Amino acid sequence: MAEADLLGLGVAVLLAGLLARGARRLGLPSVPCYMLVGIVTGPGTPGPVLVEHPGELSLLAALGLVLLLFHLGVEFPVDQVVGGGRRLFATAGCYITLNMCAGLLLGFALGWGVPEALVVAGALGISSSAIVTKSLIELHRLTNAETPVLLGVIVIEDLFLAFYLALLSPVLSGGGGVATLVEDVARSFGFLLLLFAVARFGARAVQGLIGSQEDELLAVLTIGLVLISAGLSQEVGVSDAIGALMIGLVVSRTAVNERVERLVLPLRDVFAAVFFVTFGLTIDVADLGPVLVPVLAAVVLTVLANVSAGVVAARLFGFNQRGAANIGLTVLGRGEFSLILATLAMGAGLDHRIGPFVALYVLVLAILSPLLASKSQYLARFMPDWLLRPGWRYVREETISTSCTHLDQIRVTETDTDVCPECVEAGSEWVELRLCVTCGHVGCCDDSPLRHASGHARATGHPIIQSLEPGEDWRWCFPDETLVRAPMGARRGEDD
Amino acid sequence: MGKGVHVTELPGVGKRYDIDLGRPDQRISVVIRSGGVRDLYVFASASADPTAVIELSEEQARKVAAVLSATFFED
Repeated sequence: MAEADLLGLGVAVLLAGLLARGARRLGLPSVPCYMLVGIVTGPGTPGPVLVEHPGELSLLAALGLVLLLFHLGVEFPVDQVVGGGRRLFATAGCYITLNMCAGLLLGFALGWGVPEALVVAGALGISSSAIVTKSLIELHRLTNAETPVLLGVIVIEDLFLAFYLALLSPVLSGGGGVATLVEDVARSFGFLLLLFAVARFGARAVQGLIGSQEDELLAVLTIGLVLISAGLSQEVGVSDAIGALMIGLVVSRTAVNERVERLVLPLRDVFAAVFFVTFGLTIDVADLGPVLVPVLAAVVLTVLANVSAGVVAARLFGFNQRGAANIGLTVLGRGEFSLILATLAMGAGLDHRIGPFVALYVLVLAILSPLLASKSQYLARFMPDWLLRPGWRYVREETISTSCTHLDQIRVTETDTDVCPECVEAGSEWVELRLCVTCGHVGCCDDSPLRHASGHARATGHPIIQSLEPGEDWRWCFPDETLVRAPMGARRGEDD
Repeated sequence: MGKGVHVTELPGVGKRYDIDLGRPDQRISVVIRSGGVRDLYVFASASADPTAVIELSEEQARKVAAVLSATFFED
């Protein structure tokens, strides 16, 4: 066995870490930095070459890929997603459909082939949870109303990734006719179901196997189990990535999940960095030029698809322009999943342009997405009102938040009254009706001449009114001057 | 959760606690990330943008909490 090239790898990883550290200061994500160092110091690029044969790193890189997906599975918040409600799934469904369709469209337009189109669709369609989460934390948007929805969508997207990989790997392993393909897909999904069953019922057995009191043994046992699961799925002809993701879901249901998450995290970070560097090493810088136009088209398509998805989400959840723009421009981040798909494609010997295409795409979005996300308010100004729900004229510029501090005063949410009694008495007319959710008083809106609803709020100090117009379910809090939304997952009128 | 504290799940990040201080121009939200880091969001105006966001480690959060709950006092 040849001597391992520790020096080259060490320098490459250190450089990658340093570059990422610099980028973090500017608020840029780290994944593309790792890849960039790989590209620059690789054999395909003129200048100093740190790692002559990227192939030698393949085992370490595979470990990185497996750990990335395993950790994703372990920290997958099953209950939060299931509790997210139908609206969240509808939003995520729209998001995924829009993005995948845009990706497929571009993939077929490029004419590189059907498997290639599927890879392009996945690489364009699935955003990076790590990048999105980090940017939300850094932009101080964790208290925004749209943030739980945004996070819910990317988590569901991660789940979608498992299915997509199950669909993709038989297509990639390719060869044979349609019958073989169908058989392969069936086997792939069968394996996925089997793993789901293990996740559902086998958690106790897994815990018995790996659940050591000592951190050292827990880590060793876990990694062994993960590698076996990934290797087995490879043997079955399903991607190792799925095996890793699913065993992660299994472990997440055991009692040791938090310890495993904590122990595996640093391992994942290190080996994932090696994976990204290795991916970069295989990219020939001369190949980046020819894919520039497709990449720019892909970036434009992605931005359009994401902003549309943001508007759909805002409509479904009743956010204003700021919310729509924040969702659309924050989920733009692309990183680890796009690179994983590209790696699978290159491993399967697809069109060699896929690698450089995804690399450049991730790089461009890495710089673009934090910039766009932080400037989302400018996009919000251009969004016409009719795109969103009626009633938003109140808070055009402000993000609706849960900043309403009077939710405990919501007591009445329904009424049979369909007139403004005070207007009837005064012989006046009204435009729309509002319900005081504290005492059940019905009055007319502020576009009506006598404005009985806000008059009632002023006189009694009751804070929140609700629209009684059919199809509208917004509430407005007078003291906080904000729209009030129901907490995520709660049905209207059930929040306390 | 008790009255006046509104809990929101942030999938993949952790939990957010919006603390009702009884007035719109003074609000505090605490995000407890699953890793243990706390983000303290302070709103000193009715605006939806926080006035300050402070990132606290578990240790630092305990210190602040102890002082706030008057565990440390001088006679």
